[in-house]
Amino acid sequence: MSNANRNFIIAYILLVALPIVGLLGVLKNGRTLTAPISVDGMWQLQADPTRLASLPCGKTLGQNPETALAISQSGRNFTLSLANGPKSTASGVLDGTTLKASLVPAAAWSEETGCGASRELTLVATVDIKTDPRSLTGMLSVSDCPSCGSVEFHAVRLAPAAKKGLR
Amino acid sequence: MPDLFKLVLEIAVILAVCRGVGSIFRKIGQPRVVGEMFAGILLGPSLLGWMAPGISAYLFPAGSLGFLNALSQIGVVVFMFLVGLGINPKELKKHGHAAVLTSHVSITAPFVLAAFLSLYLYPKLSDDSVAFTSFALFMGAAMSITAFPVLARILAERDLLGSRLGTVAIACAAVDDVTGWCILAYIVVLIRSAHNPTPIWVTVGGIVAFALVMIYGVRRMLHRYVTIYRERGQLSENLMALMLLLVLASALCTEWLGIHLLFGSFLMGAIMPKEQKFVRYILDRFETVTVTLLLPLFFAFTGLRTNIGLVKGQEMWIYCGLIILVATVGKLGGSMLASWLSGMPVREAAGLGTLMNTRGLMELVILNIGLDIKVISPALFSMMVLMALFTTFMTTPVLEMICPDRLLREGPARVPEQELAVRIPATPCADRISA
Repeated sequence: MSNANRNFIIAYILLVALPIVGLLGVLKNGRTLTAPISVDGMWQLQADPTRLASLPCGKTLGQNPETALAISQSGRNFTLSLANGPKSTASGVLDGTTLKASLVPAAAWSEETGCGASRELTLVATVDIKTDPRSLTGMLSVSDCPSCGSVEFHAVRLAPAAKKGLR
Repeated sequence: MPDLFKLVLEIAVILAVCRGVGSIFRKIGQPRVVGEMFAGILLGPSLLGWMAPGISAYLFPAGSLGFLNALSQIGVVVFMFLVGLGINPKELKKHGHAAVLTSHVSITAPFVLAAFLSLYLYPKLSDDSVAFTSFALFMGAAMSITAFPVLARILAERDLLGSRLGTVAIACAAVDDVTGWCILAYIVVLIRSAHNPTPIWVTVGGIVAFALVMIYGVRRMLHRYVTIYRERGQLSENLMALMLLLVLASALCTEWLGIHLLFGSFLMGAIMPKEQKFVRYILDRFETVTVTLLLPLFFAFTGLRTNIGLVKGQEMWIYCGLIILVATVGKLGGSMLASWLSGMPVREAAGLGTLMNTRGLMELVILNIGLDIKVISPALFSMMVLMALFTTFMTTPVLEMICPDRLLREGPARVPEQELAVRIPATPCADRISA
């Protein structure tokens, strides 16, 4: 075997083959990692429309019984918008199975009676990961309004995300 | 039905902004495509949507994005055919073992580093619907890709296509792209098979059979094109239409087989005859409309999906910085080390590493697939787009700094016949470092 060929083989083993072995090790070890639970997707919101309408900023939501929450998730962070409700976007954080998000009503929505411009709708919910599709149970409340109370809601994920790829 | 007025207005705005920003970037010595990528970001929620949400909502309402996406995808299908057409596997053979080593290291180094980074990023930027294996493999594929067309353009603009640096870079980029797309195809199959009742071996078997038919059957038939071109000096409209039909049929086959439209168009380009004049002729026919009209739509569509606002807070910017660092160290460092070990002077090796670090449009294509199949999250997509922009933007100035034109045009680097041989240095070679 010529020197050039021998050197090529040594260099190839060191720089290509060994790293590939390392890659296999990483892929094996990575399987033990856990990522935040998935909440990405569309969620069908179910809440008592009468109680929702009694909540400041909730009247607009209560008018549409088919309101869906669209959640776009990036790790623990997510953005939330109302897919067929008034235009608004909220950002939130996922802590274990608990979702917390604050939604600032858009200008047109804030004009609703009792919904001031500075008010925020707060959403706190727990994800039930045992159900298929996953479901959410939580409370909607309005910031800076201790007397307003809160409204319980339930949401079911419309398009459950299947496992993407092999473990 | 689309609102035609809105759609045409959208296209006009996109073209105007892309041409304008592209021209500005040309003036500062960057390839136009970098400016067009940047223009896409400007039109998205990261700038226009943030500064003028009303105008953004009027120009790019959510309902119109489907049509914009469809048009842009047609552009990318044709573009991937042109990328495949430009790839010539014979280039790699000219440089022997050294080019094989450099190209393979330029894939494995960023790939493995990206997999290590995935151990850190997966629990932070992904969720439990994505398997770690898919996440890590995707990150590896995305970081090991090289923008073959941008690289070719940079080399052409600097008159380096005939230099040793240029030919090795083109050969390595071709190998990188083919390998990167194969890995990506595997990931897409893995992910789609999770939703598909068809067993994975049936899908893989179908893909292998399709590739064999293309390489050993269709490829031979395509040589008729060259024969006709040689005889007539041109191809008739019917033959050009047939070529487009073949591209679309190949794209449809790979989509039907469960990978992606783009693999089929890329493969069709890759198996086309590689006679230089013929390739130039085809490129001339397709490039103008694709590059000036359809690709800017793709940049805009990508920009509309990129929300730099999602990269908020110190922690997220650290992740973004790590992604850029790992991508650059893996690709630039890996290519540089391998080419230096192959006997290239250190300065030229650094130049090669810089060129290989160009990701450009190819990266955006891959990232869009990743976002579509949801293997990466929107925030990670935005970070990776920033990485693609950064690594592409840095190529020209860093290359000029490391390998000024006057040095590259000097003797040894201009001799393509000079054989590179893999050498294992016992100690760091002072002569190479000073080169």
